[in-house]
Amino acid sequence: MKSILAFMQGLLVAALLGAVSAVAADAPAQAQAKEAHNQAQLWRDARSGQAGITTVRGPESGVLIQSGGETWRELRNGPISLYGGIALCAVVVAIGLFYLRRGMIRLTAPPTGRHIERFSSVERVAHWSMAISFVILAISGLVLLFGKHVLLPVIGYTLFSWLAAIGKNLHNFIGPLFLLSIIVSFFLFVKDNFWKAEDANWIAKAGGLLDGEHVPSWRFNFGEKFMFWFGVVFLGLAVSISGLIMDFPNFGQTRDTLQTVNIIHAVGALLFVCLMLGHIYIGTIGMEGAYAAMRTGQVDETWAKEHHELWYNQARQQPAEPTKAGQGSTAAAHS
Amino acid sequence: MARMKFLCDAERCIECNGCVTACKNEHEVPWGISRRRVVTLNDGVPGERSVSVACMHCTDAPCMAVCPVDCFYQTDEGVVLHDKDLCIGCGYCFYACPFGAPQFPQGGAFGMRGKMDKCTFCAGGPEKDHSAEEFKKYGRNRLAEGKLPLCAEMCATKALLGGDAEAISNIYRERVLKRGKGADLIGWGTAYGKREAAKEGGKS
Repeated sequence: MKSILAFMQGLLVAALLGAVSAVAADAPAQAQAKEAHNQAQLWRDARSGQAGITTVRGPESGVLIQSGGETWRELRNGPISLYGGIALCAVVVAIGLFYLRRGMIRLTAPPTGRHIERFSSVERVAHWSMAISFVILAISGLVLLFGKHVLLPVIGYTLFSWLAAIGKNLHNFIGPLFLLSIIVSFFLFVKDNFWKAEDANWIAKAGGLLDGEHVPSWRFNFGEKFMFWFGVVFLGLAVSISGLIMDFPNFGQTRDTLQTVNIIHAVGALLFVCLMLGHIYIGTIGMEGAYAAMRTGQVDETWAKEHHELWYNQARQQPAEPTKAGQGSTAAAHS
Repeated sequence: MARMKFLCDAERCIECNGCVTACKNEHEVPWGISRRRVVTLNDGVPGERSVSVACMHCTDAPCMAVCPVDCFYQTDEGVVLHDKDLCIGCGYCFYACPFGAPQFPQGGAFGMRGKMDKCTFCAGGPEKDHSAEEFKKYGRNRLAEGKLPLCAEMCATKALLGGDAEAISNIYRERVLKRGKGADLIGWGTAYGKREAAKEGGKS
């Protein structure tokens, strides 16, 4: 463009004039050159987020230019949306294919009609608090990340904005409850999630997921343990803590902090959703009796034997009848 | 068609905050909200400079790109506006904006954000021009009256220029030539950046 060229020429002329005058007069010229140098430094500092003074109050109001937002935008709108979306679709497709291959994993032997307690009422309350809040958080979070591209064109601006507003508020208020349920669940379930020698066998055989081979395991198999440690504990804490930092912006968090934790939050949450899709699948239509176990807390002895044989054997050694060993047997059934 | 931009000449800005006051008064913005602010760098030492900054109405606006409900739009004149009826107060525009332009006036408990408010280049919003709703939500629509932003119009030293990019950069260029210094168009690279440069390069 002509005007730009003219502008550049102007700058050149200005620079030359400056140089000429610098030769002509010594001391003031040096001072001027120094000031020009300082000026360049000043704008460099400003561009890199150095704060100045302002009468307007607010977080970072003295910062003229904060360039981290551009990086945040590129990451969020770029790889996170793209690969996150692909990963979600891939998981759904993989689950679909798995369902086509295995269908619902049914019991091979007929149910005995005798039940063992698998989850106490406290454990179930903790699980469902976690589950319900997770689903609400996941849906509202996905609406905020992908809704603009997926839902908005279908339902229109007004309705989508309503939905997103409800989603945002649910997300902000339920987030802290989710963290609470994670902490409670951690203490309830941690004792059965430590490594056992038999887990190596489970890993080697991929839990018999593909060929239906029976792999004995304790109360929780390695898949469940992975879900516990990597999902609930690691991703759960990462997503919750990063979420809390964004949820309560009244502690003077800088934009740099908010941008960083938002990236952690988004990546962690997408991984979490991918993982939980698998968990929800196997806990509902993927396996006979799994949903009932968490719904009622009871499993049939056949189910226990076929899915958690070592745990079943252990539980059988101390029969669940409250008449005999009372509290002791209940505790044994849990562990 | 004009391309509206702001330009602050740091050699002229005397940090009087007249632009800030003019803006607050013209648009009757709520207490505690400043759509515009003046930042002073190297305060009190030789080489001190001040810059008045608000929404720069970026060419490739980051707020627009990250808004989850797509409430932003850019007018034919390049002014970035938003629809407060759609805004959900998520704060993503605040994360993305390099100039700290988005403000959240109706904050609830724990820093909960209300609907975003920012400089409109005195161009109102999606409501009907000069309507009461438009004024209440976005402030005065001076562009529709054929006027330029009041902050720049009222600037005593004419440090702050707001208007067609071509016109204001001509004024600025002339100044730089005359005084032989102060050619730093602070914020322009960030706001109107590479894509614009590429576009203009493509045209000529």
